[in-house]
Amino acid sequence: MTQQTWDEVGGELLPHDEFRAASEAIVANIERVIEGKTATVRLALAVLLAEGHLLIEDVPGVGKTKLAKALARSIDCTVRRIQFTPDLLPSDVTGVSVYNQETHDFEFRTGAVFANLVVGDEINRASPKTQSALLECMEERQVTVDGVTYQLQTPFMVIATQNPIEMEGTYPLPEAQRDRFTARIAMGYPDPGAELAMLDGHGAADPLRELRPVSDADTVRRLIATVREVHVADAVKQYAVDLVTATREAPDLRLGASPRATLQLLRTARAVAALEGRDYVLPDDLQALAVPVLAHRIIPTADAQLARRTTDAIVSELVHRLPLPHDRQRSPYDTRPAAEGHGRGPYEPRKG
Amino acid sequence: MTATRNLGFVAAGATLLAAAPLSAIFERWTWLIQTSIAVAVVAGAAALTRLARMPLWGQALGMLGGLTLALTWLFPAGTELVAFLPTPGTFAHFGELLGASAQDMRSYGVKVPDTDPLLFVTVLGIGAVAVVVDVLAVGLRRPALAGLPMLAVYSVPVAVYTDSVPAVPFVVGAAGYLWLLVTDNVDRVRRFGRRFTGDGRDVDVWEASPLAAAGRRLAVVGVVLAVALPLAVPGMTGGLLDTLGSGTGDGSGRPGQGGNQGRVDLFASLSGQLNQSEVYEMVKVTTSEPNPFYLRYGVADELRPDGFRVRTPTGRPVTRDLPDPTQRARAGVEQKRYRATVKVTKNLAMPLLPVYAEPVRTEELGGNWLYDPNLQVLFSNRDNSRDKSYSFEYVRSTYTPAALRQAPSLPSDHPVRLQQTATPPAPKVDALVADLVRGKRTDYDKVRAIYDHFSADNGFTYSLTTKGGTSGQDVVDFLTNKAGFCQQYAAAMAWLVRAAGIPARVAFGFSNGTGRTDDGYVLTNRNLHAWTEVYFDGMGWVPFDATPAYGVQGSTRSAWAPDTDRPEPESPGAGSPATPDDAEPSAGPAGRDAADRETDAGLAVGADAPTREDPTWPWWAAGALALLALLAAPALRRAALRRRRGGRAAVAAAPATVGSGAGGSERTMVVQVDADRARADAHAAWDELLDTLVDYRVRVDRTETPRATAERLVNDDLAEDATAAAGARLLGRAEERARYARAPLTGEELPPALRAVRGALAGRAGRRARVVAAVLPPSVLLHWRTAVTDATSRLVTRAGDARYRLLRWTPRRLLSSRPHR
Repeated sequence: MTQQTWDEVGGELLPHDEFRAASEAIVANIERVIEGKTATVRLALAVLLAEGHLLIEDVPGVGKTKLAKALARSIDCTVRRIQFTPDLLPSDVTGVSVYNQETHDFEFRTGAVFANLVVGDEINRASPKTQSALLECMEERQVTVDGVTYQLQTPFMVIATQNPIEMEGTYPLPEAQRDRFTARIAMGYPDPGAELAMLDGHGAADPLRELRPVSDADTVRRLIATVREVHVADAVKQYAVDLVTATREAPDLRLGASPRATLQLLRTARAVAALEGRDYVLPDDLQALAVPVLAHRIIPTADAQLARRTTDAIVSELVHRLPLPHDRQRSPYDTRPAAEGHGRGPYEPRKG
Repeated sequence: MTATRNLGFVAAGATLLAAAPLSAIFERWTWLIQTSIAVAVVAGAAALTRLARMPLWGQALGMLGGLTLALTWLFPAGTELVAFLPTPGTFAHFGELLGASAQDMRSYGVKVPDTDPLLFVTVLGIGAVAVVVDVLAVGLRRPALAGLPMLAVYSVPVAVYTDSVPAVPFVVGAAGYLWLLVTDNVDRVRRFGRRFTGDGRDVDVWEASPLAAAGRRLAVVGVVLAVALPLAVPGMTGGLLDTLGSGTGDGSGRPGQGGNQGRVDLFASLSGQLNQSEVYEMVKVTTSEPNPFYLRYGVADELRPDGFRVRTPTGRPVTRDLPDPTQRARAGVEQKRYRATVKVTKNLAMPLLPVYAEPVRTEELGGNWLYDPNLQVLFSNRDNSRDKSYSFEYVRSTYTPAALRQAPSLPSDHPVRLQQTATPPAPKVDALVADLVRGKRTDYDKVRAIYDHFSADNGFTYSLTTKGGTSGQDVVDFLTNKAGFCQQYAAAMAWLVRAAGIPARVAFGFSNGTGRTDDGYVLTNRNLHAWTEVYFDGMGWVPFDATPAYGVQGSTRSAWAPDTDRPEPESPGAGSPATPDDAEPSAGPAGRDAADRETDAGLAVGADAPTREDPTWPWWAAGALALLALLAAPALRRAALRRRRGGRAAVAAAPATVGSGAGGSERTMVVQVDADRARADAHAAWDELLDTLVDYRVRVDRTETPRATAERLVNDDLAEDATAAAGARLLGRAEERARYARAPLTGEELPPALRAVRGALAGRAGRRARVVAAVLPPSVLLHWRTAVTDATSRLVTRAGDARYRLLRWTPRRLLSSRPHR
């Protein structure tokens, strides 16, 4: 393993303008394929920089796989694509030891996950047995086969797509699997102008073919290192914890978000802040990320499901109800008494 | 509907209970029957009208009609149709009864017999109270207000009784009131549904609801306030708490309630006593003074056209220090301190106590008894002199004529002179006085001239019977007939002295009777006496007894007022040296117009110069100022906040500009500028922005980030104003940097941005909102309310903790058989 592993990301940080140039180049490159979806594209990039995994969920034909492939191609790194089919086996994903007759030894043939970017298409078409093969590598960035543990390269990102509408012959992702995805994004239909432009661009040839990498794995590693250095104020951390706690306490939810969700929420928020050119995270970032990061991890109660309340709606309502943490970074000039700890600020509307 | 009917029944019952104090007025209890009938009819009428779903005015009319029918049936005039339908004759009869009741009220003392007029008034009054209580309690659902008419019933015996009213009837009435309140509240709770605790579990019917704890706390606070407030107000402590044990009112005798000592006619009682054929002992007094002047109990100093009247005394309890007359000591005035013990028999029952002038210390008298330093009388609003025995120390002042002669005339604007020299118009008297005082230079000489006028030489004789006259004025009749007894002499001399411009009044008391026995003086009703007191500046009130000494048993004369008849005591009609001289009529009463100005109630006559009362307007002004200050407090607080925030930002802006000028790049600026200060400035500016939003009624959302708030402001409120929009964005950016970034935003002028935003918001707000923002800023009120709420909730939490800890140790927990929920 000559390549850097996950924990060894480091080295010199990118200066502000270089970070901006690199990230903007990737976004612009992807946008040559996916028109009019800047926010989605940036979110996908943010997940990459947050060292997370991306689940793209939408109806067929809106460009899920295109986005995944465009992101993979924009970065000059190893890319593997897995088409999840019902008969896919775990060893196809992780790799298998085969007996080499020449050397009279078992040698490990790496599976699809041994790459920087792994595109898993239609992930819910594989059986849970196969899906489970991703569990270890997504969280621990390692693969254990026959008792031998192989470290994965960094950056490592799984971009999976799935179709939420047609459920026939599919296996819904288990909760453990869903929790490992940092964010779930929906593509959404393009607006008419973007669709028109798409007709022009995609009419002759697939633009994906002409897509050239604008970055490499090393740059991405440095980008990741830069993102890790983004400042998070205590109030923002508190807000993240408040948000996640709110999902655990919401009466509409049977299962709230996990502590891993808190970590990934903050990590993604760092990436988003960095992409926006800030070196500090705002609560605004958390608010914007709450639905993509939290909504796919939580399970609504039966009542909420009967009321046809989607998890997206529940999470965004939580965001709109949760007050910001009131305490601030205190300065020697700030003479006001410390705010009370029971969370009722002076501007909270009176109840009842 | 049953609840309303039940409440109406309770209202009637409570009215009847509230009528219980009337039992203290009537001799018998039969008034209760008529009253009950009337109240029952009223309640029945109310129930009927409610059954017919009449509006409130219909109910009231129905009840009044029922009351009329009941009255007609109970007090028939004989002309009714079917015994209870009123006719015009009935109402005429009612009018007669009303007139007769006024007569009866005057003629009967408590307790009164059952006369028809009085019963009529009682039934009418209670019936009216029943109507009002029903309307308030059932119609308007304000049973608390129904307490007022019920209290009005209780005020009747309070007004009639002089001293005290039995407490039991009040308790009965109060119980009725409470019954009404409880019924209404139970009804209210039943309507609400089940009783439950704050956290939603049910409560047994007879268990106190935890929600009622708030009510209990309120009650405790109310009682504590009611007790503590009089303690806190200095003026009220004197009356209530000092005399709490003896149960009197405050220190001033209130006129207007029948039988108060303020309306005791001392003249009438004096002449009545003197004319009685029976002789009985009234007072036994022993004194250490060898030859005391008269024992004194009352003063009349209010001169009306029909004579002197007693003024209502005001004073303070005798248990406190009494004014010390020795402060007036001067040459020619001899003052000695003596001690006297008085034993009043059962024959003297007055709210006044006889003492020698001027008492300085009393013993065996409770806080019921008050001393009026002006009138120099001991009085009580509650107690009675009957069978009292007490002792006191007093200072006897004796004067030499020379000293009195040296006393200067009172200045014409002196309050005592203004008040005590007013005389009704009596030309004959004025002419006589002018004649008498002509050529007399000093007050004493004038008084002596008048005093000497009442001598046998001038034809004055003593007679307990007086002849009438034709002048229409008793004083003129007396001066013409020249026959009378002590009170005529005393009053006439006081009148004349007043007419000469010198303050004078009539004092009542006892002469020294048959003289000293082994155990002091025994004074009977025949020894009752009246004399004149004249006020000399610096000396105080000096007694003069103008009554012929032969008519008064135990008459005492003094050096300054010798017996005018002494040369020939047994021959009235002899000449007197006191012949009126010719003199200028300069001694006309001056300043008579302003005479009705009252002197200060607390005026110390013992002092040399009685002081005028302080004007009250400074207090009013101070109160108004305090009120204004209270009202202006939020606005001032807001202004102070704005100034502080603005000032701080201005200070911090200076180094920022310097830094940017010197460094030129952002990094150097961050190094140079104090980050903490910039952060605090941003917070201050943001706080100010939020307060401004609150002031101008713009929504403030705690779930919004500063950036989102700024964007909302820009989109919703500041769309037209580019400067203000940029300012709002700047403020939002500064606040979010200050809150969340490593380094705060520097180099930007926040106060101008703030001003722009504030100006734009003010321009958008309505006039009302602007006025409110300026006068009573909602932000300050909100802060205060939040602070109060927080403090209260902390207090409640702490109290709850303490209570829980206490309850853990209560033995009730062990005894309770009920499973703990």
